[in-house]
Amino acid sequence: MEQIHLIKRSVEIMKGGDKAALATIIRTKGSTPRKAGSKMIVYDSGRIEGTIGGGCGEAEVIEKALEVIKMNRHSQLQIDLTKGLFYEDGGICGGIMDVFIEPL
Amino acid sequence: MNPDMYKKLEDTIHYRKDIFLLTITDHSDSRLIGSKALLHTDGKLYTHSPLPADLKSKLIDSCHKFITKKQSGTVRFFCRNEMVECFAEYFPAPLHLIVAGAGHVCEPIAKMGKMLGFYVTVIDDRPEFANRSRFPDIDDVVCESYITYFRNAQITDKTYILLITRGHKFDVLSLTELLNRGENPAYIGMIGSRRRISGVFQEIRKDYPTENFEHLYTPVGLDIGAETPAEIAVSVMAEILKVKNQKSGYSLSEKIKEQAKKGFREGAGTWNKYTL
Repeated sequence: MEQIHLIKRSVEIMKGGDKAALATIIRTKGSTPRKAGSKMIVYDSGRIEGTIGGGCGEAEVIEKALEVIKMNRHSQLQIDLTKGLFYEDGGICGGIMDVFIEPL
Repeated sequence: MNPDMYKKLEDTIHYRKDIFLLTITDHSDSRLIGSKALLHTDGKLYTHSPLPADLKSKLIDSCHKFITKKQSGTVRFFCRNEMVECFAEYFPAPLHLIVAGAGHVCEPIAKMGKMLGFYVTVIDDRPEFANRSRFPDIDDVVCESYITYFRNAQITDKTYILLITRGHKFDVLSLTELLNRGENPAYIGMIGSRRRISGVFQEIRKDYPTENFEHLYTPVGLDIGAETPAEIAVSVMAEILKVKNQKSGYSLSEKIKEQAKKGFREGAGTWNKYTL
């Protein structure tokens, strides 16, 4: 029940006033490290909670999430993992995933 | 999501019912993006944000296929000639683990059950054992007689029952109640020595002479030489996972050794399945 825990955290953040964004994988194609529904909370400090797949594309999502926090506006991001087969940190993935990012 | 909606989501899962969380992820009216709603499996929609009525009914219609398929997914549809995208996230009701008998072995089993995502109920008729201070993180701690509990408990194919009571008398009472009900839980396991098990079977056969106990796992657990409560918990929970996932319970390496002898040529696909 990891996803529900992250939803609970995001409800707490909305009450508590921390600045953060919630990223959720909403669609995947091919071999992605995590399935639709996987979530990650990104704080404005860059700290994260949860994961949407480790090194595979996570850095891109964090960057976009910081923008979402700043602009206070939803965004969608497509992560293409088919280009580099071997990421520097060892992740081996070969799919595409759509990530929905919402400000909290 | 607002706290009320979260409470509803949590409560539904707590009462062991499937539910979907809908999020509008794209809409030409950007104010609607991020709106959330809960979709129950009976098709009822709960929402906090003021969504237009026609959008609500389109949401229900478009997401109904996910209820049937029991899975998350994203759907696109048109509402008033405008494209709407919605992500429907599936929250399946957790499997239910009932541990009857709140003694020393129960503690690590209940804890491990939680770790593995089960909704865990601990039941014992002794208040000094079945109490919150002994099981602070467990979903339900019930103190009542085994007969009463098993007479009324909700039992489905998502229910896993462990009988680890303090004496074979209580196992007999619990098992008899379960047999009376005629429900089909996913698993009934009963701890015990050969002597205790044969005693229980003799008692039960008085009322159910044809009972063959085929669905009953006793003694409980996989054969890993478990002795301490923690070891027994590993052995028992491993067996429950084996039943849940319908697997052999063998060491994964055994299969690989066979394939290694053949140079992995034949089992390449299987090898990938086990390593991923």
